[in-house]
Amino acid sequence: MSQWVIKGLQTGIKTTRYPAHEETQGGVSPGLPSAPERVADEQGRHLAKLCPTGAIVFEDGTLRVDPRRCVHCFRCSRATHFPLDWRPGYEWASYASGRRAPAPPWPRVFSTSLHILVVDAGDCGACLNEVKQLNNPYYNMHRLGFFITPTPRQADILLVVGPVTDHMRIPLREAYEAIPTPKLVMAVGTCALSGGVFGPSFVSGGGVAGTVPVDIEVPGSPPPPLAILHGLLVAAGRKDPVASTNVGKAGAPA
Amino acid sequence: MLNLASMASEAERRWPEQVQAWVDRRKPVCELRPTLSEVLPEIAQWLAGEVRYRFAGLIVEEHQTEWEFRCLFYARKEPGWAHLLIRQPLDATSVPSISPQVHAADWHEREAEDLFGITFEGHPRLGDFVLHNDLWQEAVNPMRRDFDERTALAERTPDTEWRPRRIVQDPGAFAMPVGPIYSGVTESVHFLLETVGEDVIRAFPRLFYKYRGIEKIAVGQSVDQCLLLAERFAATTAFSHALAFCQAVETVCRAKVPPRARTLRVFFAELERFRHHAGVIQEICESTALTVAANQAAILEEDLLRLSCSLAGHRYLFGLVIPGGLSCDFSDSACREASEKAAEILTNFQDLEQQLRYSSSFLDRVEDVGIVSEKHAREFGLVGPIARASGLAGDLREAQPYSGYERFAFGAPLETEGDGFARLRVLFAEAAESARLMAQAATMLDPGEVCASVTFQPGAALGWVEAPRGATFHWVRLGTGGVIERYHPITPSFVNWHGFHLAAENFAFQDFPIILATFGLSAAENDR
Amino acid sequence: MSLEALLVAFFVLSGIGVLSAALLSEQRAVQSLAWTGSAASLAIGMAGALAIAAKDSFTVALWSLPPLGRLTLSVDRLSGLFLLVSASVFLLTSIYSLGYLRPYAGQFSTRALCACYFTLFASVVVVLTAGDVFTFLVGWELMALFAYGVVNYRKRHEEDARPGYLMLAMGEAGFVAVVVAFLIMAASSSGSLALSELRAHLVSVGWQTRWIVFLLSFFGFGVKAGLAPFNRWLPQAHPVAPANISALLSGALLNLGVYGIVRLNVDLMPPTTVGPGLLVLLVGTLSALTGILYANRTNDIKEMLANSSIENMGIITAGLGAGLVFMAVREPVLAGMAWIAAFYQMTNHSVYKSLLFFGAGAIDANVGTRDMDRLGGLIKRMPWIALTFLIGALSIAAFPPLSGFVSEWLTLQSLLQSAALASTAVKVVFALCGAGLALTAGLAVTCFAKTYSMSFLGMPRSDRGHGVAQESPSIRIATGLSAALCVLLGVVPTFVIPIFGRVVEALRVTDASAALVPPFFKSASERPLLPPAFVDEFHNLGAQVGRGLVPGSGLVVLHRGSSHNPVVFAMSTTYMSIVLLLLTALLVFVVREFVSRRSRSARAAPWAGGLAALRPESTYTATGFSNPVSVTFSAIFNPTITEERLEVIAGHFRHRLTRVVAEVHVLDRVLFQPLARRTLEIAGTLSRMHHGRLNAYAAYVLGTLLVVLFLDQTHVQDRFSFSPALILIVALLLDRVL
Repeated sequence: MSQWVIKGLQTGIKTTRYPAHEETQGGVSPGLPSAPERVADEQGRHLAKLCPTGAIVFEDGTLRVDPRRCVHCFRCSRATHFPLDWRPGYEWASYASGRRAPAPPWPRVFSTSLHILVVDAGDCGACLNEVKQLNNPYYNMHRLGFFITPTPRQADILLVVGPVTDHMRIPLREAYEAIPTPKLVMAVGTCALSGGVFGPSFVSGGGVAGTVPVDIEVPGSPPPPLAILHGLLVAAGRKDPVASTNVGKAGAPA
Repeated sequence: MLNLASMASEAERRWPEQVQAWVDRRKPVCELRPTLSEVLPEIAQWLAGEVRYRFAGLIVEEHQTEWEFRCLFYARKEPGWAHLLIRQPLDATSVPSISPQVHAADWHEREAEDLFGITFEGHPRLGDFVLHNDLWQEAVNPMRRDFDERTALAERTPDTEWRPRRIVQDPGAFAMPVGPIYSGVTESVHFLLETVGEDVIRAFPRLFYKYRGIEKIAVGQSVDQCLLLAERFAATTAFSHALAFCQAVETVCRAKVPPRARTLRVFFAELERFRHHAGVIQEICESTALTVAANQAAILEEDLLRLSCSLAGHRYLFGLVIPGGLSCDFSDSACREASEKAAEILTNFQDLEQQLRYSSSFLDRVEDVGIVSEKHAREFGLVGPIARASGLAGDLREAQPYSGYERFAFGAPLETEGDGFARLRVLFAEAAESARLMAQAATMLDPGEVCASVTFQPGAALGWVEAPRGATFHWVRLGTGGVIERYHPITPSFVNWHGFHLAAENFAFQDFPIILATFGLSAAENDR
Repeated sequence: MSLEALLVAFFVLSGIGVLSAALLSEQRAVQSLAWTGSAASLAIGMAGALAIAAKDSFTVALWSLPPLGRLTLSVDRLSGLFLLVSASVFLLTSIYSLGYLRPYAGQFSTRALCACYFTLFASVVVVLTAGDVFTFLVGWELMALFAYGVVNYRKRHEEDARPGYLMLAMGEAGFVAVVVAFLIMAASSSGSLALSELRAHLVSVGWQTRWIVFLLSFFGFGVKAGLAPFNRWLPQAHPVAPANISALLSGALLNLGVYGIVRLNVDLMPPTTVGPGLLVLLVGTLSALTGILYANRTNDIKEMLANSSIENMGIITAGLGAGLVFMAVREPVLAGMAWIAAFYQMTNHSVYKSLLFFGAGAIDANVGTRDMDRLGGLIKRMPWIALTFLIGALSIAAFPPLSGFVSEWLTLQSLLQSAALASTAVKVVFALCGAGLALTAGLAVTCFAKTYSMSFLGMPRSDRGHGVAQESPSIRIATGLSAALCVLLGVVPTFVIPIFGRVVEALRVTDASAALVPPFFKSASERPLLPPAFVDEFHNLGAQVGRGLVPGSGLVVLHRGSSHNPVVFAMSTTYMSIVLLLLTALLVFVVREFVSRRSRSARAAPWAGGLAALRPESTYTATGFSNPVSVTFSAIFNPTITEERLEVIAGHFRHRLTRVVAEVHVLDRVLFQPLARRTLEIAGTLSRMHHGRLNAYAAYVLGTLLVVLFLDQTHVQDRFSFSPALILIVALLLDRVL
């Protein structure tokens, strides 16, 4: 018994100081590709063709990056003549496309504490693992008032990962119906936002929005725990979201 | 243990006129082609029994005019493969089942039946496997050529009359359902636990809630696009799967991977293994509610994730391995620093192991629960740390070395009890070996390129890797122009989920989550 | 109306009932059973009430039979109490039968049932009002016979008439013991068979005779009361009998055993040593424990209720035993308390057990099965039965403020009074028995939680569990009345206890109800027994709330121990109910005003982990619910797996796992089967005498005659003035044995 106490004291405090301060440790986030101010036509067209999911769009001479589609394959930064710079950072959460202002009055009660129901709608395992890291001593989301609950009856926010496979559609809907209002839905990960490399197909929808209405989106493949934490803070109204960027190929379910 | 030539001649001797044998010494592969499909079960039994080869998987391919059924067997201790190959015209959709003889083939055949519509004669449990019967009521075989994968997702209504099969006939028995959404942060799996109240008498996991149909999506894609699928269908072991895929492609295209790349591949594969095992250990500690140990293990897992990200740019090593090598180079000093950091983490890891060994309350929960005997492990063809904890030795890095593993010295831990504690010990031991392998690899980096060019040509080959969860085999068939014609990954979770019920049955309900955690399985890896 | 008139009215109505069975049609016979039965119950109930209120006992002489003396009926307060309780049960059953028996009219002979019903009722009254031994025994035999008749009423349905036969056979064995006990008592006193005479002359009997009489009568009446280990007939008889008869069996007939024990061992021949009392206490605890354990195990509702009756009888008997011990050590007030508790428990048991059986009968009739593994969801189908069954279940599980709580609390408190005893060994026995009764109380909660939830809550598990059932008004009235009684007996115990106090007073013991329900008082001078400091404390505890408003003694059941054991225990279910009602009203008000206005509530299907539908076979079964009890007490249940078979197809595909578990009742295993084995061995040895040689048989007869003449010639005549009859009986018994 005492051995654990000594070990704990030796380990010290590992918790990040985010959101009070920025996290500066290495390895907390892979970053996202950032669109440069100006780009040559050739570069723009090349990069747009190179991106396998259509996250990079070159239109009217401007290059735009839709993080909702980025699967972190790094082809735009490595396997190319015109490497694209990636910006570090982890604050990527935004309101779901279509919402301009803070969504309909989310109750003040959400601002102090959120109970989260996590539903795995077919994810690859990485997003789920990142969500699991939220409770490790480095991130410790309990200190911010976020808790994971196993039952929808006590949940405030539904956190969905995965592109929503055919077999998980009904369970996801059941979970959504079972959460009492007021409730929020947060779609985490590129697959949940746009289907990623998996969908839409004959067994998976192109994201969560096709099955339940989404309020907050967190892109990334997978989004690091700090990004998910940022998303939760946005849900709680304690942090500002970034602007929603729903540019990209048409055909993605809104 | 026969060598391949004598295997071929023995086969032809036993089944004269019924089997054609063909040996390729390079790979090395012995292809046995029965002319009559009826003889298939006998040969399979002979291969698994007397010849003592392990069953790897079943690959079904639908060509233009014929079916190709390929059963893969491999030798336990030295390089050697036996492919049992049957070709049939397209209208002959029935093949004798080898499951009664080789139990490990059970789920492979069920999957093929659901996806292709092949009837395996003699298999009593076909149907309702990948495509759940209460949802997919029409007889649809998505892997057939004539099925268009761009078919939109249909709105289905569940069949309320569907009932699962029950085995226990006790008058008061009931089947307690768990999932697919249950407890905290867990993957979507549905369990039916038949019980009369205290003990789980029969555990039936219903998987494929996360079936994303990657094998169908892959058909017609380029190798680059399929690489993304291979990497991302089971992303907690992304590197290993991508590696297996790339090795298959490299074998088809006869590409030679530069030695620096091979060593770096070993380096990153072991880094992934170390990180994966830390995660499984964290889960085991959490399932026993020893929160302090779970948090210590979580610190180590996060350390390794950050190490991966600092070194390779992504916490799960996405986008690193490509056919021909790696997508970017790493300096010797960077690798050395990373392996030193890993060694530090290993010290903490071993501290944790020592403390767990002296926590009697923890040991109470994992010792003597979830026991899988060696006999069962062999029958069901279990792989990975689970099999090694039950006394079934076998590691692809030793038996069928790839990517230069033959140059490295490492031990393969083996335990015999087959309980949760044995699995935990195996995980710790393998993690320690991984850290040491990383240190070795960091010193053995040859200078040179890190990627060779690959010219695509048609052909088919198998790529294999000892993934953190066990042996994984990826079968890739390329057409002209580097287009994927068939991609079939056989994953360790698919094999091990088959044997999960052996461990969960006849233990109390409270032990069930712990047994599940000690198995460290992934539903995403199984469902594909 | 005078008591005599009521008695006459009762017998006349019973006669009318029997005649109506002979003359009317099947349908009408049911109605006659209901209406005439209700009238007869009311008559005899009023008679019982009058008897309790009366000062002296009432005797009426009937015919005179020369060798057996004068036959008399005598109604004293003890008889009155049992008459009142039995009448209530018969009244409720009669009302219930109107609706319950209607479907039986075409299938079984309701006329026969009607006839048996009234004769059974009459014989029960005869037993309870018997003034001499002969009347008692005749009444008893008739009661046993007609009880057999009504229990085996549905014999055609079950292949086996064995349960009823077992009841009759074991009852007869008990009867023989009772007869011998009575005769020994009569022989020890002046030779008269009148109970009043026996009472007067048995004071000076020696301890050996007392022990023999006690053992014989306890065995004999214990069989009838369903005490361990001679109660194996009870769990088998109940499922066979129709539900209204089961209610009678548990609610009225088992009490006759208690009546017999009390009459003989408290009234006629009170104990002078602690031995008998301790034995009664131990047997009671043993019955309670085995009863409730097996009630937990079984899935058949009626068998479960039968086992629960065994448990309740055990508690009653334990209370009686404690009283006997206190009586023997000359603590009459404590003895009175223990007996008040026992009578209270008996009354409560009659009421709530009838209620539960009514409910079980309604379930059986509506759903077609009694197996709890196949019931479920009936709260929507039978809401009234669900409500009343809930009240019955809460009562029997001793939940405050209902009736079962009061009587079990009183029983346990009287066991705690063992601190007043001197002998440590006796105190240890009391402590162990108290612990055993506490364990049964806990197991009773488990048992009825399982019963109620598996039958009424959850999802319907059989096809007939859907829809809404017809509930006939008579069934509603019967169950409603019983439920109301359960509540009443629980909420106003301070008005009920004095009734039992009067009965106990008649048993030549002081009125203990004063010790339990101290009356409201104005000043200390009114109650010189209680010290002034205590009176103030009493006042400060709030125990005088209601003074001047509420009639009667008070609303608190309170006992203050003696000077060397000054422990106070107090309980008031009345206050509890008032507070509960107020708090519930407050809660409803708060919820409606402050919570419901602010938020809406939505209805949704139960969460099933994401499954589209939760299936009935995925929900807990009754077996699963009681599995922990089975596992914990597996040493007692001792289940053995006689067959375990796993069918496997094609090598390793599991197809079916069948397990056959055999279980032998612990009493059979420990007592009866070894006994039967030994008896058969002895019989085998003795059978060597039956070798067929006529000369030897003649020698046996001659030998017996010689022995008897010898006995007659010597000392027998002095001691036993009843020699001819005794010799005849002994000779008959010997003849039987050989």
